Amino acid sequence: MSQSLIAEQLESQIGQIVEDWTGAVRDDPRIQSDAKLSKPELIDHVPAIIEEICELIRKSETPGVRNSLEARANVYVRLQQGYSGRDLVRELSLLRITLLDYLMEISRQRFELTAKEHRDAAKILNLYLDEEMRYAISVFCDRSPELPQEPLQN
Amino acid sequence: MTSQKNFNDFVRDYNQDYILLLTRASRRHYDCLISSFLVLKDLYNVIQVMYDSGTYTYDVLPYPFSFRADDVLLRQLGFDDEQIQNIFGFLDYVQKTQGMEFEACLELGTVAMCARMT
Repeated sequence: MSQSLIAEQLESQIGQIVEDWTGAVRDDPRIQSDAKLSKPELIDHVPAIIEEICELIRKSETPGVRNSLEARANVYVRLQQGYSGRDLVRELSLLRITLLDYLMEISRQRFELTAKEHRDAAKILNLYLDEEMRYAISVFCDRSPELPQEPLQN
Repeated sequence: MTSQKNFNDFVRDYNQDYILLLTRASRRHYDCLISSFLVLKDLYNVIQVMYDSGTYTYDVLPYPFSFRADDVLLRQLGFDDEQIQNIFGFLDYVQKTQGMEFEACLELGTVAMCARMT
């Protein structure tokens, strides 16, 4: 199985992955920032994040500053939604677990997938979410409550 | 060496231009918008790379570059339903005129744009 097939398999299950992740976030008593969000607001950039991860897996590209646009958008929106940093980290952790579970299931069903291919895909997935956490920690530290927020404009 | 003040100015300029381009899209002024986004993405990347170096802090947070299928973000930015429809219409416009997704177009960057000019 090529990396593109792993990406294709993950992409074909985005709806279910997002559904599982949403349930995990809602059920997690340690996450409180989501309470006021509607389902679309909670889901927000997550499908696009999964698509971006799949694209990186497909191209065997290492996640970094320049190819994690959706991750950065997600951090921005969560900050604007009043999320706490620790809740964002927790929900990203749940997304990581959900995606790794699906990746494991793909490996279980597809015997042709080698250990190296599984590892490479998992590595990209992990590095991407680490990149988002790195950005989130930096931004949340910079944006202490004392600092004025840039007014939204149109 | 770029000062923190200059860095802040980069971010403010980026934010202003980002809103300007989205406003153009929201009014269906799609002409030359792809190349404008192409240039803006470069500025966004420069800001992100500079920030990632750990030398600078965000006094002002840059707007995220990605806006695909994100009416949550676009509403936060103050766009109404019709304007959001027009912004998403730009993505369709890119697909029709360039034969590829907006993101693919940006990734190919000047290569794609120059190829179309020759």
